[in-house]
Amino acid sequence: MFIEIGHFSVVLALVLSVLAMVSPIVGLKTGRPDLVRIARQAVTLNFFLVSIGMASLIYSFLTNDYSVKYVMATSNSKLPVFYKVAGLWGGHEGSLMLWVWILTAYSTLVVWLHWRTQPVIMPYLLSIQSLIMFGFLAMIVFLSNPFERLYPVPPDGRDLNPLLQDPAMVVHPPMLYLGYVGFSIPFAFAMAALFSGRLGEEWIKVTQRWTLFAWIALTTGILMGGYWAYYELGWGGYWGWDPVENASFMPWLVGTAFLHSVMVQEKRKMFKVWNLFLIIVTFSLSLIGTFLVRSGVLSSVHSFATDPGRGLYILVFLAVMLSLGFGTLMVRSGKLRSQIEMDSIVSKESIFLFNNLFFLVAAATVFLGTLYPLLVETLKTAKVSVGPPYYNAVFMPVALGLLLMMGIGPAIAWRKASLDNLKKNFLLPIILAVVTTAAAWLIGIRTVFGMAGALVVSFVATTIFVDFAKISALWARRHEINYLIGFYQAFTNNQRRSAGLITHIGVLVMVVGIIASTIYQIEKVVPMRIGDAIQLKNYTIKMVGLHEVSGANWTAEEGLFEVSKGDRLLTVLKPQKRIYTESQTPTTEAALYTVHLGHIFLTMPEVRSDNVTVRALINPLVLLVWIGGGIMGLGVILNIFRPRTKASG
Amino acid sequence: MKSSSPSCTNPRSVNLSKGKKYGLIVSLIVIAGGLIYLGLGQFGQNLVYFFTPSEVVSFSPAYYGKKIRVGGMVVKGSVQVVPNTLKLNFTLTDGAATIPVEFEGIPPDLFKEGKGAVVEGYWDSQKQFHSNLIMAKHSEDYMPIEMKRAGVQLPKKDLLKTLQQ
Repeated sequence: MFIEIGHFSVVLALVLSVLAMVSPIVGLKTGRPDLVRIARQAVTLNFFLVSIGMASLIYSFLTNDYSVKYVMATSNSKLPVFYKVAGLWGGHEGSLMLWVWILTAYSTLVVWLHWRTQPVIMPYLLSIQSLIMFGFLAMIVFLSNPFERLYPVPPDGRDLNPLLQDPAMVVHPPMLYLGYVGFSIPFAFAMAALFSGRLGEEWIKVTQRWTLFAWIALTTGILMGGYWAYYELGWGGYWGWDPVENASFMPWLVGTAFLHSVMVQEKRKMFKVWNLFLIIVTFSLSLIGTFLVRSGVLSSVHSFATDPGRGLYILVFLAVMLSLGFGTLMVRSGKLRSQIEMDSIVSKESIFLFNNLFFLVAAATVFLGTLYPLLVETLKTAKVSVGPPYYNAVFMPVALGLLLMMGIGPAIAWRKASLDNLKKNFLLPIILAVVTTAAAWLIGIRTVFGMAGALVVSFVATTIFVDFAKISALWARRHEINYLIGFYQAFTNNQRRSAGLITHIGVLVMVVGIIASTIYQIEKVVPMRIGDAIQLKNYTIKMVGLHEVSGANWTAEEGLFEVSKGDRLLTVLKPQKRIYTESQTPTTEAALYTVHLGHIFLTMPEVRSDNVTVRALINPLVLLVWIGGGIMGLGVILNIFRPRTKASG
Repeated sequence: MKSSSPSCTNPRSVNLSKGKKYGLIVSLIVIAGGLIYLGLGQFGQNLVYFFTPSEVVSFSPAYYGKKIRVGGMVVKGSVQVVPNTLKLNFTLTDGAATIPVEFEGIPPDLFKEGKGAVVEGYWDSQKQFHSNLIMAKHSEDYMPIEMKRAGVQLPKKDLLKTLQQ
């Protein structure tokens, strides 16, 4: 019964989204503010209605109601409660529900927070948010209904895909969607600015924090996905250029470009059309990302079934959003000519320009590699795939270029950097970078990738350090306070900039983690019996046992491996080969031991009667990838919650 | 950045001279062109095509040694483990033709006799497929419910499609 109430609520929300889409525009044209207010109430009501829909589904999951087809397909009575709730976004229909629920929450928040301050663009904002809402609700109601009943009622559910039964997977989709949907806010503001003709810097200033929040949520989502792949899939890597990873990476790349290029418009009133273009592309890629993964167009652990109707609907919806976005942009572009021109190639503006160029080339590279196979399949009915070397070849120079600009950009002057400015800011970093690279060579880092990494990372790190040291000294001198308080005051005085630099430090830390764990990974794959030992660098791994264990919905063979260094026993690692009872699906569970921010990583992919196959890895400094992510997050939080009163920018 | 505007308020602002403007445009084009060239150059080399066992057995020598993917069913009873190595031998079929596969490495969790698999590797003149990568992400456990209930058999080509990642 409850599920029907949920179903009805969502149908009602669909109807209300049409109302909220049309009435504010009618209200605007006829001069009736009450019609705009109605739309606000409808959007708010939609949040509650979709919440009821979500609650009814969660209730069905918790009460094991297998008469609901979606629950039957993604849950099981023996599934731990934790994963029953997560089963809600374990499949296509439920993840669309989550998407639209987040959208209604965002829309309601935005409408209430900006109602007073943005009266002119509010009608357009409401209408655009409601259009997106309508698109998703219609898909849920007509094509991907999670409320559908099933007769006869099966005795038990088919279980959540075992690979998704993991804590990281519980949080990964909501984070990703907070990011994807979050970009709808700057998108809607941008569209509203285009429609209303208020094409100044206001839409950018208003959405700056929203964009940052969406960006860090997406970043977190991607990093969690990486961590999940790292230990749950058992291949010991966190990024494989898998189409589903690429799907979330594309909006991230263009969103990051947007995040940077808006600063040029704020400071110099340039790049106006460009910024609108970037946010339209970012949000479109968010939509493509959602659909690519959840429509079943790409086969992977994330997608479950293919339905041509859905594919067509998605294409039409995307076409509507894209033509709406680019159509209005083209119509309005005459009004958007920027009045200020670039002064010099050696300036902050031009670094931003190249930053954007690099991010877009990166995004285009991923786009080509991800969608070309789909294109070939459709046109030639041949099957083809694109290998990781393609991506790596493009990304290495792109990443190095971007890192280099990360060092130059914040320190170089606007308009035209004088030779003096360049010398003052970059002489010391260049010297230190060269010295560090020489030191890296001396301690045995001889690969091109490693040396280039050392050069660029130390250069950027020094520019940031010099920057912080300078402003601290300046404040300490000017206010006659000590250095630390000087740093604190200088930091908070221009917190947007300082916080940005913190995020950059996070990027550097991550880059060190990526480089170290990529080029200094050590791998051994060997068949072993109890009593056998292998040597991995200066660690000895000895197999001492093999026994059976079981959990709520699985049984496993668990190996016991003693890890020691010299005579000292460090730990006993217990990798498992699990079989999930309901679906009889085997999975490989990795065991990890942390040493010096790196991992000894052990899996046991094959268990046979006479021996087991053991895969042992040393991933040096791999934890820096996620620690760097944490520092990036800290920077963004400091940015979002910066004091409003002080100088901004 | 097209036309200069008289409304430019800042007296210090000097427009780029023609030479500098061209310099910026040229450097943008050179860098973008370089990156795109790099990407497209790698692109062609890294395309891996997908075939069925029937197609593979009728390959002309031009295809020998090329990296390809082949999808099919692992024939029941064909999997042989070479003791104390990471080697496996098995045969792959699409119903019409079978090919022998020599594999070295770690087979995925879902690799099983009688189930679908995609192998990556090369076909040689000895009519032998060599591989060190098997993909078997999908099992019919995660097929659409409608199909399971109705017992619908997918056409072979489509079944293979669902296997390819």
